[in-house]
This record gives sequence, structure tokens and C-alpha cells, in this order.
Amino acid sequence: MWEALSEPFRHRQPKAKGSVNVVNQATAGAGKRPKPKAKDWKVTLKRMWHYLSHRKGRLILVLLMVLMSSALTLLGPYMIGRAIDHYLEGPGGTPWLLFLSGLAAVYLLNSLVSWLQNIWMIAIAQETVYRMRVDLFGHLHRLPIPFFAKRQRGELMSRMTNDIDNVSSTLNSSAIQVFSSILILVGTVIVMLLLSPLLTVLTFLVVPLMALGMKWITRRTGVLFKERQRNLGDLNGYIEETLSGQRIIKAFSQEERVIREFRERNERIKLSGFWAQTISGFIPKLMNGLNNLSFAVIAGVGGILAIRDVITVGVIVIFVEYARQFTRPLNDLANQWNTLLSAIAGAERVFEVLDEEVEAKDESSALSLQSIQGAVVFSRVSFSYDKGEETLSDISFEVQPGETVAIIGPTGAGKTSLIQLLSRFYEADSGTITVDGHDISSIKRESLRSHMAFVLQDSFLFEGTIRDNIRYGKLDATDEEVEAAAKLANAHSFIVRLSGGYDKVLHGDGSGISQGQKQLLAIARAILADPAILVLDEATSSIDTVTEIKIQEGLQRLMAGRTSFVIAHRLNTIRRADQILVLKDGCLLEMGSHDELLTKRGLYNDLYHGYGQLQ
Amino acid sequence: MKQIAFYLKKYRAAAIMAIFLMLVELTVELIQPLLISQIIDDGITLQNGSVVLLWSGILVGGTLIAFGAGILSSFYAAHASQSLGYDLREKLYGKVQSFTYAVFNRFATSSLITRLTNDVTQVQDTTFMGLRFMLRVPLVVIGSMIMALVVHAELGFLLLLTVPALFLFVVWIVKKAAILFKKVQQRLDTVNGVMQENMTGMRLIRVFVRREQEAARFARHSGELMQSSTSALRLTEITLPFIVLIMNAGIIAVLWFGHLEIRAGSATTGEVVAIVNYSLRTAGALSAMSMLVSAFSRARASAQRISEALATDSGQTDAAQTARKTGGISEGSVEFENVSFQYPNTDAPVLEDISFKVSPGQTVAILGATGSGKSSLMQLVLRLYEEDQGVIRIDGRDVRELDTLHLHDSIGYVPQEVLLFTGTIRDNIAWGLDNASLEQIMESAKSAQIHDTIEQLPNGYDTLLGQRGVNLSGGQKQRISIARALIRKPAILLLDDSTSALDVRTEAALLKALNDMSCTTFLITQKISSTLNADLILLLDDGHLIAQGNHEQLMENQSLYRRIFESQFGEEGSHVGSVK
Repeated sequence: MWEALSEPFRHRQPKAKGSVNVVNQATAGAGKRPKPKAKDWKVTLKRMWHYLSHRKGRLILVLLMVLMSSALTLLGPYMIGRAIDHYLEGPGGTPWLLFLSGLAAVYLLNSLVSWLQNIWMIAIAQETVYRMRVDLFGHLHRLPIPFFAKRQRGELMSRMTNDIDNVSSTLNSSAIQVFSSILILVGTVIVMLLLSPLLTVLTFLVVPLMALGMKWITRRTGVLFKERQRNLGDLNGYIEETLSGQRIIKAFSQEERVIREFRERNERIKLSGFWAQTISGFIPKLMNGLNNLSFAVIAGVGGILAIRDVITVGVIVIFVEYARQFTRPLNDLANQWNTLLSAIAGAERVFEVLDEEVEAKDESSALSLQSIQGAVVFSRVSFSYDKGEETLSDISFEVQPGETVAIIGPTGAGKTSLIQLLSRFYEADSGTITVDGHDISSIKRESLRSHMAFVLQDSFLFEGTIRDNIRYGKLDATDEEVEAAAKLANAHSFIVRLSGGYDKVLHGDGSGISQGQKQLLAIARAILADPAILVLDEATSSIDTVTEIKIQEGLQRLMAGRTSFVIAHRLNTIRRADQILVLKDGCLLEMGSHDELLTKRGLYNDLYHGYGQLQ
Repeated sequence: MKQIAFYLKKYRAAAIMAIFLMLVELTVELIQPLLISQIIDDGITLQNGSVVLLWSGILVGGTLIAFGAGILSSFYAAHASQSLGYDLREKLYGKVQSFTYAVFNRFATSSLITRLTNDVTQVQDTTFMGLRFMLRVPLVVIGSMIMALVVHAELGFLLLLTVPALFLFVVWIVKKAAILFKKVQQRLDTVNGVMQENMTGMRLIRVFVRREQEAARFARHSGELMQSSTSALRLTEITLPFIVLIMNAGIIAVLWFGHLEIRAGSATTGEVVAIVNYSLRTAGALSAMSMLVSAFSRARASAQRISEALATDSGQTDAAQTARKTGGISEGSVEFENVSFQYPNTDAPVLEDISFKVSPGQTVAILGATGSGKSSLMQLVLRLYEEDQGVIRIDGRDVRELDTLHLHDSIGYVPQEVLLFTGTIRDNIAWGLDNASLEQIMESAKSAQIHDTIEQLPNGYDTLLGQRGVNLSGGQKQRISIARALIRKPAILLLDDSTSALDVRTEAALLKALNDMSCTTFLITQKISSTLNADLILLLDDGHLIAQGNHEQLMENQSLYRRIFESQFGEEGSHVGSVK
């Protein structure tokens, strides 16, 4: 028994200021230390206010209601005190029934008003949270791609759900309570002063104690709440990753390992959660204790005063009740303070993402191109990820509208990076890339991309029907157009054989259709987009060669008349290209047509014959 | 809910302690009005100052005791609830990991994530609150009732009358709200799902310029979430005004009848004051009710969702559970006998009547059109799914009798799409083998033809890979994933089209390195060049094994194989031949 009881005290005390040590902080980029200072809070609260202010009219209405219900809340006990002095103790009289009716009316109105204020506040709060969510989501879509390379999906998701949820629960109830607490507090103090200044001063003796206690507590909890939210984000990230990678875990029978690693994170969150909860749990207890203390003081001193006939018994009763009402809003404030702290911790994490710099904004002078020819020129382009070793160095080439360019080279040569520059996921460190003679950095990103269609290495499908997934290439496409594109991509035949055909719903895992079939759908999607520039990045790698030949014809037709970039390893895809770029270690070693390159007897020749060497 | 209570049992000592301490606190508080009435009746009315001082001294003492108890209970309540949350997460995560792959796929990943974090947090926070407040409310109410009855039976009875109505009302609200909150959590799943999808498909969304459509979709789902949250919360918000109204009606009644009783001389002023005080206290306690009702309803919905996942049959068959604890596979022979398989919830089989036999150390190439069942066949060897008919034997034993853990220990698997984890390259390769040494890691990286590339990175093997290792090329990631499989020194190696992003030369070097390892290798490939040296080629078409044999045999009597060959070597087939 003693074992179990002494356990809560065995949790290691958190170290000073913001350093519940984070072992094995694998999440790159998430390691920014928090500095929960009052200044930050102010900024955070101000920004939350900005969201709330969308509903100013409603908010004012709620405020009025709070004002009313606070007044009514004060009126109730006062009337009871009056009742005791005048009717129970005193002479009483005829208006007793009238008086009670008045009290009943006050109570009824109070209930009605507090109901209304809550209902309206909930609407405001939920709308605010909705706005924050949508803003955050919209913002994520404006962040540069490298941002996502460094973050765990699940960690970001945690900000969208767990952190915003914290904000939500605070706004639902706390916001109102904070207002009404302050109002009631002020009102109570005024009435108390009127009734007995001496008792009021005595009641206030506990206030400095409260302030001291609160200071001690919040200094700790601010850090702990933030810590807890971060640990929760970390845990969320781990869960997301291991559930998405479940196939690998199952295949390697690594369940025990991930459970073990999960446990480490789970323990971290338990520790920070324990301290956050324990210490913030002190608040109501402290308030309660001080409340009781003032209760005792009022009873004692009030009793003596009553004996000396300085005050009446009714005043004591009123005071006892007011003292409770006076500490109850403080108590509420303290409790709300708690949720407020955790909400601020949540909101801060949300704003942290909102503060991430977006993809350098298109300059206001940026072009919006109606249509493009598809002439692409790279001149002396160099690029490196994270300012490290150059991934591409000094690349120059020219592509005429309508040409097909094959990009080949060993893995890691920089083929995909080249495409990423063209789509402006990343910006070149030096050199220029032009499309139809315009520097692409002077064209609006979305305008540029809308003239291109991509089939990326990982063919990603959304949860939804096959039809919707193909239609993603052109949202207003008719069913006929969708099917025509699917036929061209050679996907039609397998789609109609699925149960549900085009209306079959694909789920996250996409089980039921194979990787190759996914690629066929991705190609159909690009076909439907009908772009001026087509980019195929290993688009057919998982497709068998017989099927590939079948779609080759469709692809040829598709590539005719538009500029196409094709990354591939299969030579028969490459041979027909107008130009072949041979990349190695980020350098453009050779370029030219198939025949030209063979006569050069360089790397291309080697690669080409390497194909034969396997025999 | 019951299941959650079961998990709390483990911490009953702490929970009981927390409740006990709360009771101490509560007792002190409940005695206060009684003491006040003593002060009024014995002290003030009788003009006795020392009585006043005595009782107020006792009040101060009680206050200190209550404060100490309150602080202490904070520790116990936090301990019980955090430990409960910890256990729930641990159990749930363990359960999810114990699901067979088929069962796992029945849940949306985003839903499991929400259950593991958001739902558990709801339960945990409510437990904490419950240990400190939720019981406090009924206890204050009951305590106040009893005390009121003690002070003055008839007037106290008036107060008692309000309780059944309140009780029924709260039960009704909680039941109703729990249903609404379940919907809230479900919609949270959806929002989470859209979010996850967008994070994964960010590049695609960018290149197709579909930001606005995605934002609209997200806004629609968030809007639905907002609506259901609003209506759930609105329901619970009725609670407070209603309860307070009923209580206040009780107070008016006490005043009315108290007035009469005093007139009749059967009650003192002090008694009426005490009872009014108790009524106010009850009303005060009940005002915390609406928050509790919404928290409790929400926790109930979350608890149900957790229980649902915990109660899901993990799908492990009895045979697997009672499997003999055999050692790993030593030889690596694989035999399929009339195997058919169909994915759960689909209506067409993906594999039908497949039979073949592979001797240890052989290399098997699996060839076939897109969607012909190649990957599915591999998943059966891995036992990610169970065959519907037929028998698969490894080392001559039915795989269903083999312990999955030991089976997997002897298998190296490289999936089609690259799945790497956040961490260093070293961690990712070592992931395949517990306690792998750096030598082992390097050795397998060399075999996978990735060692040189890693060495060139600024931090070498300690280079951090972000989510899905973005800074490495597709082919480089593929080779890390191959190294992860090779480090296990597997008896059976499964390569699911894992060399697609590799250039011809790297692939050749890799295949040569694999040849030197004496494992049975299954190779799904599109390239005839990789099948030329295979001991056995399985040619799949639409779920059927239409041919098996080596290259020469298939060239001789399989037209589909010849077509595949020609598709790759067609016109230059002779050219390649002449180089040879």
C-alpha cells in the first residue's frame, strides 16, 4: 500500500526553467527552445483577439449579457441578506410575497441571460477556431517545399488538432468566465465596501497571498504546458510515421522496437503532463484555502463586531457569501488561467507555423501568363540543398517549344532536382531559368505551374474515387474526357474491371490497386491537364514494359506539340527524344540526340552498352 | 467506459487517496456553515465573545488542514490520471501493432492517430478533473443536504426535493451529449485525414495548382466539425442555467417556509441562515456542472472510441499464436501449392491457384503486367495477408505453423515505395537488425551500393533524414532501404521492384553483390535484363501463373514472355547480342 501511495512523489522534479530534458530529439527543426515570457503571451493574446474580433457585434452582445448576469449574480445574495434582516429577524410585513416574487424574477432572468451568453459565445469560439484552422491550413500551402522536408507530418498535424483544440476549449467557457469573474469581483468589492469597510479590508488580506501563490505557480506551469504540447506533437509525429510505415514494421517484425520507442515518448509526455497537471492543480486548492481563511476571519471578527452591535447578523451572512463570491471569481480566474496557459501554449505553436516564411511572395510585378509556347532555357544554373555541396552546378541548355528532352544519369546525379527548379519548388542559387524568354522568378508561381503537368516519382492518390483522382488534372473535365484520358494512359481496361469501375473509392493505402496502376492513373491525370510543358519523372518505372509500349503511343501523341521532360532509365523511352541530357554528380556531361551521343563514345555510350553487358 | 475503469484500477491506491483527501477538504468546508450558525446563535445572540473566538480559531485550523489535503491530492490525482493516459496509449499502440495488416487497414490512419492522442487526452483530463471535482459536486450536494437535514429537518427536506429532478436531467444530458461528441470526434478524424493527405501530397497539389480546391475541401470539413462541436456544446450549456434555476427555486421555498417556521417559533434565524447557506453552496457546486457535463460526455465518447479499437480482434489466428517456437529459417526453400488469395472487402481474387517450388539459394524473378498480382504474392510470403486457399511452405513447413517473429527475422524485404523513418541514415539501416555494429551497417551499405554516396555526405552515416528522406534522390533512398534488408543476413530476400529508380550500372553491381549472398531471392522486376540470370522466372498474368522456367525455356514456349523480351530488346535485340 505504501508503495502505491508514495509513487506520485517519485516523479523526477522537473529541472529549472524549460529544461525537461528531451533525449534523442530526432525531430530535426523542432528543437527551438521555448521562452514563455509575458511579452510573448501579450503578443499571442493580441493575435487571438484579432481572430475573435471578426465577430465584434456578437462579442459586444455577449459582453452586455455578461454585464447583466454579473449584476444579477450580485443582486441575489444581497436580496437574501435583506430578507434575513427585514423579514426573518425584523418586523416583516405585507410585501414579503412581492419581495420573494422579485427574487424569483432575478433568478429567472439570471438563468436566461447566462444561457444566452454561453450559446453565443460558443458560436463565436467555434468560428474562431475554425478560422484559425483554415488559416493554418491555407498557410501550409504557401510554405516553401523545403519546410516540409524538415518536419514530421504528424507533428504538424498535432498543431492542427491538439493545439487548436486547446484554444477551442478555452474560448468556449473561459473567455466568458474571465469577463464575468472580473465584473463580479469589482461589483462585490464595491458592495462590500459599502456594507463594512473594515470587514472588506480583512477579506482583502488574502489577496497578496494569492498573488504570490499564483506567481509561483504560473512561472512553472507556463513552461510545462508548452513542454507537454511539444511532447504531444512529438508523439503524434512518431505515431503518424509508424502507422504510415506499418507495412515495413510488420514485414520486419519490429513491433517490439516501435513499442519500445513509443514508450520513451509516452514516458516523456507522462512526465511533463504530470507536473503540468499537479502544479496547475495547486491553483484551485490555493484559492480554496485562502477562501476558507477569509471565511474564518470574517466569522471571527464579524462575530465580535456583531456583539458590539457595529454590524448586523445579516451583514455577516452577506459578507460570508460575498467573500465566497469574491474568491469564486478569483478561483474561476485561476482555473481559467490554467486552461488559458495551456491554450496560449497551443496558440503559440499554431502561430509559430503561421510565422514561418511563405514561399517568397511573387512580386507584384510578377507575370501571369495566359498561354506559353514552351521554350525553356537554363543558363549557368547552380543549386544546392541547405547550402551544402552543390547538387547541380553550372547547367546550361536550351529547349525549343515542342521538343522532348530526356534526362538520364546515375542515381543522385541531380535529375529530379533539375525538375524541382523548373517547378520552382526550390530556387536556384545562381544562373537563370527562362520560359518563353521570361525569367521564371518573374512569373507567378501558380501561373507557371498551371502551364505544366507533372507525373512525379511517388504517384500519390487521394482518398476518393478513381474518377476524382484523374479529374484532379482538370477540375471541370467531363466524364468522357476523364475516360478518354484513362484510355490514352492505358488505364481504362483495368479500371472497368474493378468493382465499381471509375467510381471505386481508393483508400489511403490504395490496397486493391498496384503501384503500377497508380502510375497509370497519375499519367491519365497529367494527360487530362493538357499542359504546354509536360514533366515525367520516372513515370513508368513500375509499369511493365508491354503495357509501357501500349501507353507509349499515347504518350507520344501527348508529347507531340508540347515541351516534355522525361526522366527515365529505359533506353527505348529515351532514344526517341530530341535531346538527351546526361547528368552526373550535378554536372551536365553530354547532350545531344541518341545517335550524336553514341558517336561521342562518352558516358551515354557506356550506359547504353552497360545495358547490354548484363547479358 | 467500463474498460477505462478497469485501467484505472491499477492506480486505485492513488485514486482513493485523492478522493480521500478531497473528502477531508470537503468536510472542512461543509462544517463551516454549521460553525457560523454556532457563532451566530451561541456567540452573537448570547453576546459571548470567547465563543466567537474559539469557533473562528477552529475554522482557521480546519482551513490549514484542508489546504494541505488539497495540495497533496493534486499529486495523487495527477499521478492516477497521467498514468492512466500513459497506460491507455501504451495499450492502444500495442494493440494497433498487434493487428494483422489486413485488420490494420480497416482503420484510417488518421483515425488511429486521433484515438491515440486526442481521445486519450480527453479521457485523461476528465479523469484528473473527476478525481478532484466531479465527485466533489455530488458530495457537496449530498453533504449539504445531510447537513441541512441535521440543522432543520423540515426545511432541509425542501432542498432535498430538488435533487431527483436535477439528477435525471444531468443523466439525460450526458447520454445525449455523448452521442453528439462522438460525432465531433469522427469529424475530427476526417479533418485529420484531409490534413494528412495534404501533407503527403503537397508537391502534387502544388504542381497542379490545386491549393484553393484543397483549402475549400478542408474548410468544408472544418465547417462540419465546427457545426457539430457547436451543437454538442450548446446542448451541454443548457445544464447550468437550468440547474441554477431549480436550486434557486429551492432557496425561495426555504425562505418562504423558513419565514413561517420562525413565526411559529419552530426554527431559529441561525438555522434558516445555515440552510440558505447550504443551498447557495449547492448551487455553487452545481454551477461547475455544465463544464463537467460537457467534459464527461466528451470523455465518454472518446472512451468508447478507445474501447472500440482495443476490443477489435487483432486477427491473429490461433495457429499463429500456438505456433511452435521454431528457430529461424535455415535453408530458405519456398513452395506454393494451389494458393489463391483475395484482398478483404474486394470481390475478385488477385491470385488464383498458384503453385511453384524454389530451392534454397535460388533467384526467382517475378514478371507480369501491371496489376497481375506480383506484389500480392510477395505479401503472402511475408504473411502480411493470409492465403485463402492452398498452402505455402517454407523449409518444408506450413508457414501458418511458423512463428511470425522468427519467420520475419529470416526475411529481408524491400518494398516498392520507399519508407524511411525520421532519424539518421545509420539508424535507418540498423533498423533492420537490433544492436547492429557500424561494421555491419557499412558492410550492408556496401552491398547495397550506397556506401560511397553516404561517405560523401557531410555527416556521413549520421546524416539526418527528414520525413521520407527528401534530400536524397529516389534511387539513393531505395538503396538505403535495400541495405536495411540486407543487414539481417536474410535467408529469403524479397525485392519488390526495388531497383526501378536505379540506373543500369548500379543495378548490375547490386545484383552481383546479391548473387554473392547465399539467400533465396525473389525479385519483382520489369527488366528482362534482371531475369536473364534467374534460376526460375514466374510469369504472372491477371492473377494466374501462366508460365515458369528459366529464360531459355520461356523464350522457347511462351509468347507473352517473348513479347516482353522484344519490348525491351526488340529492334536492338540483335545489336545487344552482337556486343556479347
